Amino acid sequence: MSNSVSVSVEVPLENLVQEITYDGMELLQQPLTMSESLAKLAQRIDFCGKDEEGGAGSSSAAAGSTNENGDVKEEDTVNGEGGPDSNFKTSQSWPWESVRNKIRSALTELSVLGDILTIAQKKQYMVLDPVQAEPSDTKPPAVLMYKKKALGAASQVLLGGCERLRASMNEAKSRPSLATLDFHIELLRLRQNWRLRKVGNAILGDLSYRTAGSRFPQGGIFEVTKAEDDTEEGMADALSTSSQSQPPPPKPCSALRVTVPNELQGIAYIHVHVQKDQDTLSFANIGLPAPAPLDAHWQQRLEAAQNVLFCKELFSVLAREAVALHSMPIPPLVVGNQITATLFPGILLIIGLCHSITGKTQSPPAVSSKLDHNHVLEHSLHQLLREVHRTNSHIPLPHPATAPIGISRKRRLGGPCAYDRQTLLNMTKKEGILEEIIKQSQHVILRLRAMYFLDTLAKEIKDPLLVAHWASINAVTHSCVRITLVSSGYDMCARTQLVIHIKEKSLKAILKDGKAINLSYEPQELKDLLLCQIAIHQIMALQSLSKCLGWTVLSSCSHLGVGNCESTGNAAGCMLTSPNGKRILAVRSSPQAFMSAASIQVFIGYPPNAKYTTQQNNNNPIPMEVDDTSAATLGFEGMDLAAGVRYKSVRLDKLEGKNFLNKMEMLMAVLADVS
Amino acid sequence: MKNCKTIFILIFVTGTGNQVGQRTLHILHNSEYPASSFALLEVPVNAAASGAASNTNQSSTPAPTVKTVSLVADNLFDLLVLKMAPVYTSKKIKIEAKGPRFELGDFVVKLGSVVMSQNFKGILVEVEYRPCIMADACWDLLMEFVQGIFGHNAVSSVPRTLQPRMKEVYTPLDTMHQYMDQFSAFRKAAGIR
Repeated sequence: MSNSVSVSVEVPLENLVQEITYDGMELLQQPLTMSESLAKLAQRIDFCGKDEEGGAGSSSAAAGSTNENGDVKEEDTVNGEGGPDSNFKTSQSWPWESVRNKIRSALTELSVLGDILTIAQKKQYMVLDPVQAEPSDTKPPAVLMYKKKALGAASQVLLGGCERLRASMNEAKSRPSLATLDFHIELLRLRQNWRLRKVGNAILGDLSYRTAGSRFPQGGIFEVTKAEDDTEEGMADALSTSSQSQPPPPKPCSALRVTVPNELQGIAYIHVHVQKDQDTLSFANIGLPAPAPLDAHWQQRLEAAQNVLFCKELFSVLAREAVALHSMPIPPLVVGNQITATLFPGILLIIGLCHSITGKTQSPPAVSSKLDHNHVLEHSLHQLLREVHRTNSHIPLPHPATAPIGISRKRRLGGPCAYDRQTLLNMTKKEGILEEIIKQSQHVILRLRAMYFLDTLAKEIKDPLLVAHWASINAVTHSCVRITLVSSGYDMCARTQLVIHIKEKSLKAILKDGKAINLSYEPQELKDLLLCQIAIHQIMALQSLSKCLGWTVLSSCSHLGVGNCESTGNAAGCMLTSPNGKRILAVRSSPQAFMSAASIQVFIGYPPNAKYTTQQNNNNPIPMEVDDTSAATLGFEGMDLAAGVRYKSVRLDKLEGKNFLNKMEMLMAVLADVS
Repeated sequence: MKNCKTIFILIFVTGTGNQVGQRTLHILHNSEYPASSFALLEVPVNAAASGAASNTNQSSTPAPTVKTVSLVADNLFDLLVLKMAPVYTSKKIKIEAKGPRFELGDFVVKLGSVVMSQNFKGILVEVEYRPCIMADACWDLLMEFVQGIFGHNAVSSVPRTLQPRMKEVYTPLDTMHQYMDQFSAFRKAAGIR
């Protein structure tokens, strides 16, 4: 047939009809969603290539034709041809099951391989034997020659070194001085402790703290030479002068001689001194080593030189900061080798650098043995400078390649945590060494003063006992003391406590009721506070005692507004009434006159209609007996109180009793018994 | 009353996401937090469309809800975004709110005149009550203060972005969300998109 008809194959765009309902509506088969079609394709992925019995048909089907209807038909044919596998395929409930199975079998195989390898490693049950590789054909004579050449070169080097050593040993033997024999050993020991390098013919060393992070411009380079020339001259001199019966010069104790730069010779130390007028309140000597004479062992001399360098650096840092310090009302003064800073009015902190070249130091200025060497100040100065060195050399992690380096961790968090301007500004402020040491000294002074004051007060006042417990673990600028006021014999019912925090320039007292009082560095304020607390304590103790004895508290006030105006603080007072209601006790405790006997005033109140028998001597009627019969059972109730309660004062010094509470107990016991 | 300048800079950057929606990345800076950059990513979220359309001629228009992902980062974040130029093309729209800052006791009042590409758009007034960290606790106080300034014109409703977070600790990010809202309103008002 010559007529050729072009046949076009098109994909029908309609979906298959799935079902026709009773009213004629066609329900179309939904087109596969993306995930469903992906699942379908995944099913047909051939993982192991085993089911190729379907042959080219199945592989071409898996090649990825997207024609839906065509796919369905082809798969049917493959399924028809294939064996039980295809039946298995069609009855899958879950589209990804074949994928899962393939992966699972792969996992099984890998686990088996892993197990075999572990077992083979143990060599107990299974051993892997290498297959003998074919020997490579090398020319034995050539290999032998190469080896011979290499060994020859190595042996040359070793022989050369051996020759040199032998020559130097022979030389040493020829000259009878044990010093040269030890030179190398001494040099080895020196190298173990100090950094040495060879420049030309000379051996130089470095004793500065540069590798530890110091940026001090003055370097410490010392030179190491053999000491034998010295010895020869020394011995020659000895021989020539032996007739003069001088003692021979001491033999050098080591084979090498160390030359230290001139400015680092001798001894140096930093002297910290807190002074009030002329008395020394506290002191510390930093870096005071044992004196090192010129012919001492090199280790001591090098250490002394390093110490001198450290002290010089420390002093230069302090001096630079002292000049730049503007935050204090009186700036520190730098004169020569001394820095003077004012801690409190009248109290000075003096830091001095003492450097003596001769190596002989005069003993440090004699201080009274009462004061011990303040270790905290000494340690702090060392530590502060070491801290500066450390921050110079250690950059905090992380070290990013694209961001600024050397920023502290807190500052790095500033961005993500959205810190505001004020917080960021506060982070940039850094205190120098001098400020730190001034703060610490101020704290030391305040603490010593508070200790001294509490001790003297405890010695003077006996009535409530003052017990001070100092916290044993403190910070450099913060200490804490807990003060308990207790009346002897009544500690269970009457105890007043307060805590005092001592900082650098102020004190903070926290009372039992939670009030926080800020005190300045003046000792008078602490004294006033404690006296007020003592006054309050007496009244509080009396109240709790009255509870035990059955007396009722009519009124109580810690800060009385009646009576004489106190010059320091307020008076405290309370009024008690006896169990039968016939007597009133009024007590007023004032902090002002505390040292004297007039600090506590006690008054007994009598009901208005009580009759008195007066003593003839004075005009003041002192009730010797009180006739209560008229007001017998009534006491103060039902009385015409406008007639007034009469109060008579009590002379406490005439009462029996160890302390105030004891006397009051007696008094209350007596008064309660009035019938 | 202290007087100092406050600058807010807002940079819009649009991203080429998938075809369904465009993800927009906004980068904000606030001179109150000079070390930080704030990034707000708006991701349009479509309602599920699978199985919903029964006819092919029914065009599915998902109701777009926008989910905002926010980030507070260091200033280096800006450089990072520059490197991501293929993903987020910069639209170079810059909105700035700049003006004086006043402190009155515990309140901080910032007046910002909003300028978008040299066009003046409006004025924003920000009032901050410093001691409180929870919005719920001091909302009434803030309203009283604002009413004292604006009188009856003061809006007393809680801002949209702050509403779900009234009982939580207030962070600088909440401030930036509110600014973002206001800036978007300014942008839409003139019809520039």
